[in-house]
Amino acid sequence: MKFALTAALVAATATATVAHAKPAAAPPTAPDSTAVTPEIVDAIAEEMDRAMARLQLSDAPKPFHISYKITEVQVNDAVASLGFITNYKDRHFVNIECRVRVKFDGVDNGNFVVPGAAELDGSAGMNLPLEATPRIAARSAWLVTDAAYKEALIQLRAKLDARAAGGGAAGPTAWGTEPPIVSEDQVKVPALEDLDAIKARAEKLSALFRGQAHIRDSRVAITSYLERRWYLSSEGTSDQDTRRASGIIMSVVGQAVDGQELATYFARYGTTAADLPTDAALETEAKKLSGDLQALISAPNVDAYSGPVLFEGKAATDIVRYALAPNLGGTPLPLGLAPAEAKLFGGAFTDKLGLKVVAPMLTIVDDPTARTVTPAGSKTPVAVIGGYQIDDEGVAAQRVEVVKDGILKSLLTARTVTKDGERSNGHARRTTRGGAFHGTATNLIVTGKGGLAGPALEKRLIAEARSAGLRYGLVVQQLDDSAITAETELARRELIQLVVNANPALPPPALIAYRVGLDGKRTLVRGLQLGEIPIKAWKDVVAVGKTATVSNFLAATESYFEHKIDGVDEGFVPSSGIESSVTSPDLLFRELDIVPSQLGLRALPVVPPPTAK
Amino acid sequence: MHRHSAWALAAVVAACGPGGKAKPTGPVDRPPPVDKPTELQAIPSHIETTTDAPMSDNTPAARSPILDVMVGENKRWMDALGKQPDPAYYLAYQIAEQRVVTLDAEGGALIGDGDDTDRILDVEIRVGSPELDNTRAISGDDSELNAPLRRRSIVPFGTDGPAIANHLWLETDRRYREAKLALAYVRQDQRTLGKRAAQPDFSAAPPEVYIGPPAKLTFDKESWIRRLKRCSERALRGHATRGSCGIIFQENTVWFVNSEGTQLQMSWTSTQLAVSVGVKADDGEGLSRLEQAFGRTPEDLPDDPGVDKMIDLVTADLDALHEAPLAEPYVGPAILEGRAAGVFFHEVFGHRIEGHRQKDETSGQTFASQVGKSIMPAWLSVFDDPTITTLNGMQLNGFYRFDDEGVRAQHTSLVEHGKLIGFLMGRNPIAAGPISNGHGRKQAGFDPVARQGNLIVTSEKTVERADLEKMLLEEIKKQGKPYGMVFTDISGGFTNTSAFAPQAFKVNPVMAYRLYPSGKRELVRGIDIGGTPLVALQSIRAASREVETFNGVCGAESGWVPVSATAPSLLLGQLEIEKSFIPADRPPVLDPPSIRQGGAP
Repeated sequence: MKFALTAALVAATATATVAHAKPAAAPPTAPDSTAVTPEIVDAIAEEMDRAMARLQLSDAPKPFHISYKITEVQVNDAVASLGFITNYKDRHFVNIECRVRVKFDGVDNGNFVVPGAAELDGSAGMNLPLEATPRIAARSAWLVTDAAYKEALIQLRAKLDARAAGGGAAGPTAWGTEPPIVSEDQVKVPALEDLDAIKARAEKLSALFRGQAHIRDSRVAITSYLERRWYLSSEGTSDQDTRRASGIIMSVVGQAVDGQELATYFARYGTTAADLPTDAALETEAKKLSGDLQALISAPNVDAYSGPVLFEGKAATDIVRYALAPNLGGTPLPLGLAPAEAKLFGGAFTDKLGLKVVAPMLTIVDDPTARTVTPAGSKTPVAVIGGYQIDDEGVAAQRVEVVKDGILKSLLTARTVTKDGERSNGHARRTTRGGAFHGTATNLIVTGKGGLAGPALEKRLIAEARSAGLRYGLVVQQLDDSAITAETELARRELIQLVVNANPALPPPALIAYRVGLDGKRTLVRGLQLGEIPIKAWKDVVAVGKTATVSNFLAATESYFEHKIDGVDEGFVPSSGIESSVTSPDLLFRELDIVPSQLGLRALPVVPPPTAK
Repeated sequence: MHRHSAWALAAVVAACGPGGKAKPTGPVDRPPPVDKPTELQAIPSHIETTTDAPMSDNTPAARSPILDVMVGENKRWMDALGKQPDPAYYLAYQIAEQRVVTLDAEGGALIGDGDDTDRILDVEIRVGSPELDNTRAISGDDSELNAPLRRRSIVPFGTDGPAIANHLWLETDRRYREAKLALAYVRQDQRTLGKRAAQPDFSAAPPEVYIGPPAKLTFDKESWIRRLKRCSERALRGHATRGSCGIIFQENTVWFVNSEGTQLQMSWTSTQLAVSVGVKADDGEGLSRLEQAFGRTPEDLPDDPGVDKMIDLVTADLDALHEAPLAEPYVGPAILEGRAAGVFFHEVFGHRIEGHRQKDETSGQTFASQVGKSIMPAWLSVFDDPTITTLNGMQLNGFYRFDDEGVRAQHTSLVEHGKLIGFLMGRNPIAAGPISNGHGRKQAGFDPVARQGNLIVTSEKTVERADLEKMLLEEIKKQGKPYGMVFTDISGGFTNTSAFAPQAFKVNPVMAYRLYPSGKRELVRGIDIGGTPLVALQSIRAASREVETFNGVCGAESGWVPVSATAPSLLLGQLEIEKSFIPADRPPVLDPPSIRQGGAP
């Protein structure tokens, strides 16, 4: 049976082209910031200069590098359920963050986790008022610089002690130098969408889920996000950049006949609302969500399985996001990181430059300069939100060819490098314990040679299953995104069970998956949990699709289980996280492990939903 | 082995912020004492109140359709749950809609501007029977696994029936499942206990139907921004390195429905103005002074001259504190002036008179066995009355009509002629309080417990305020102490009610003076008042004729609730003063770039 991909997938060839121009129909430009003016920036710069000249405790090193990131954030977002708003916010705040580096005997404080005090990482931040005066800005800079300097000294002392106690504990880490970037111009950015319009749209779309008894819970969240950044450093950098994203999420929750919680969702992000689907297209997606959920209710549970798995559409981008992208960073592991945390850190390719790391058909590029991706064969550019002009360390964004025909060519790097002389390629985006920014994927584009059309790819899956002696293969179409579905209905003891059973090393559970019989028949299954995906599994990608999917998302800093345990604050609007995108063709793996999951199993309700009356 | 973590048990009043009238205080030298002993006179404390009965302003025409949705869903569930093997016998819904406007200015600049509206749904379900239900505490439950998980509180705005009903249904399903599981653990625990508590878990209450008219918050935002900027600019003077002024305006509407037939709709506005200054003392102690004013509407708050008085007070106090020496530990006679006495009673007495604490096996149950016994001087009485709206012309923060368990607010006598006669009761009964007296309170999103509303201490015998100080001087002389203490302001404190720790209290005085036999006053800092409640209450020697009121908000296990405490100034024969914790100071390495002089504007 031929199976149609979701309407949301972007038809594309396996190769992609990128564009750096903005979409043609640009919305109105946001006015320049009134919260962070040149006078404010100058006051902070003066304080930085004063600190570089005079900040030093006796018998302690003085700073050799000070940097500031001033961030102004504006967010309009709204959530609605069944036609009515459940939460809305218009947030606007300014933050100043300072990072101080000190060194002694050639060792600096960076990228080291202070035992028992990981929060001491040489950085400090505080909010700035929306109407700051130069006096207030200078005072704030004075306080955060002082706090960051003291932290840096403690971090350095602990790092030196670790070296003395453990010999090589300090490991290969260095701080790369970069030329300063100076620009006075405010970067223009599209204005936020109006909150009232967002609320009205969320209400209208959420009403699509009314009156459907099989949908226990549903919500539509819409966000419009604008972030302005100013970078200052003692090397002379003084520059600005912006982030801008708009997004829409529709999610539905149901319960299977045996009581297992079910969920599925639709998510789209773009630079502005103009990049999002039309209401008509979203109505189609809403119907699909409802239909998928209805089908899942009576779908059988998956059995334990080892064999070929085909990731279609968004699931292909999901598996790249969760199982490949974390390993593309070239920043050395933070020193002092606990082994369990180190295992989750990624970076598995750091010693494999020039070696085959993935299947030869695959090429991987990361391009933070891209604003759109137009897959070959398509005339429609798709906005991608992972771009910027300069990264979080004030380094210009660069396109990086990470993998060429399966061979690792380069890693994504920040200024914390493995040895002197290495340079950042402008991918500092994510901090972890130890405080260093790590090379992180931005707009990650996976392309494949010899892409197969959908039916041919399915035949290949069946062939792989047959040759492995299996009666079926598996297709995954969507993995869970806990930042979207974390608002679960757990009772306290159920939550404890979740914590006890959690394995943070696993990818998120699959929400939409099928068994594909040797006769090509697809059967929707539920409870599919991928086992740990070894990095070498990427060498066993045996086929790719001819079409590709572009997926924008906000990469949350919290883990899957942190989301599940803590829930999602503020009425469930995913407006935070690192703006990212993945473009990928469908991916067929030769062999992956699947474990059945009973996650979310609970008693059926005593009383039917009101809509069932 | 400790059965509970300390934080879960202590009835903590983390920030009972003071408010009320500004009054001049300071290091004023007094005339030397006279030798003639001063005696209490049979003149009661001066207290005049106005009240608002719970059913006043009942406006059935203003009934929201939300109540009908809640009633309908409640009935649908109870009809079904009553037939379950583990039947639910009580189901309550509360939807609280709250608009919170916050404006904060510091040093002349606006630093905070918020205007958020949320709707919070709370579902309370009881499975089993009133004699034993899912809420019964089980032994050894250190992590409170049997307590309900409060995390889901989404309910749509508006009055749409299907949308609201669906979310009521979702949360009721989760809470019933959770309650059923909890009851199983309760029953298992009961079978293993050698001694079982005789008191039931829940008391019945009569159904109430009240529809309050909708309240509307109106204010001129731009005007308030201007006023706050002006205020914070003026507050940044003297030694202050921080001068802050802020407002919190709220518009609240609560709809409550339970399976007993109670249907309530209550709507009100509240306003709060805070003027705050701070500085670090040379030894690193963080010094701050806060004055707050509370009201029902923005018009109830002080005008600019009134705000200027608040600024004058806090900045003068802060400057004096900056120069004040650190105090040493001390035991001896002391005066708690009006508001300080109110906070003292709130902490030392009020939290321990909350009924559920007399039942909790992990609680110290300080007053459980004291009913009918004298716990303070016979001329003192204490009551709590949430129906009081003003006292001596001042609005009281602890006013409400019905509590968060659907019970009518009631005047409750706690101490009469020095003898303990009652407790503040919610619907968790004890032997001395088998039914609620309308004090089950909570913040939206929490479970209700018995809490204070308007706590009022009265005295049948009093002296003039000046004579109270004369009595202190006499007491100093009698006890042979080098000085006595006078406390004029207390910022808050906490009281530990856990059985695993001493039944001690600690309150944090802001303005504390040594009073020497010569009559000289000396401001000191860096101290707390500590002690145990029974000893402290029995050491009260005298009360003043005038009372003062502390308005604030109080935090405990059921969240933050508005409260007031009114008391006369009190002379205590013995009060223990401890050194307060002063964290290690790490002053900035460099001098400040500029605060007020030179540098950038």
